[in-house]
Amino acid sequence: MAPPEKDDAGRKKKESIVDLSRFIDKKVRVKFQGGREAMGTLKGYDALLNLVLDDAIEYLRDAPDSERVTEDTRSLGLIVGRGTAITIIAPADGMEQIANPFANPDAEE
Amino acid sequence: MASTSINPSSLLPLELIDKCIGSRIWVIMKGDREVVGTLCGFDDYVNMVLEDVVEYENTQEGKKVTKLDIILLNGNHVTMLVPGGGGPEL
Repeated sequence: MAPPEKDDAGRKKKESIVDLSRFIDKKVRVKFQGGREAMGTLKGYDALLNLVLDDAIEYLRDAPDSERVTEDTRSLGLIVGRGTAITIIAPADGMEQIANPFANPDAEE
Repeated sequence: MASTSINPSSLLPLELIDKCIGSRIWVIMKGDREVVGTLCGFDDYVNMVLEDVVEYENTQEGKKVTKLDIILLNGNHVTMLVPGGGGPEL
């Protein structure tokens, strides 16, 4: 593959490593720094990974243990998600919870 | 610039925030703090100037509410923005 072209200052041109256009009008699940999680229909985005999500819901965290996300949700509507705070963007049907594969170390070979 | 083209008919996030100038906006921070106010303006870092602000803090006991006049909100911890949002249900 040809190396990315350089601009006048000799720096490589910034190329996005993700292509969010395939998620447009699809439901995505977004995780944020600080533990918040949201799900919504991706309506728009920019190079800095700011997102526009429609019919968004936020997954609420356990009050005593704010690391754990429950199934309780609250509806937010049309939101902008800040790219600076986003850690993960995944298709909504691309995640499922599985049993802990590390649960029993004795059974491992 | 990005060589992957962005579909022009999709909505740019900062454009949506720009349309919200003059109306109420609900800002959710990374931690347990939320703010609702009238958006006066914002900059490239999404620092925001908000007016007639209500600040909601979720502490151990419950939500703490403070009212503020005009504020500069540091964009560092902004996570989500809800244009026209009424804020969290109390």
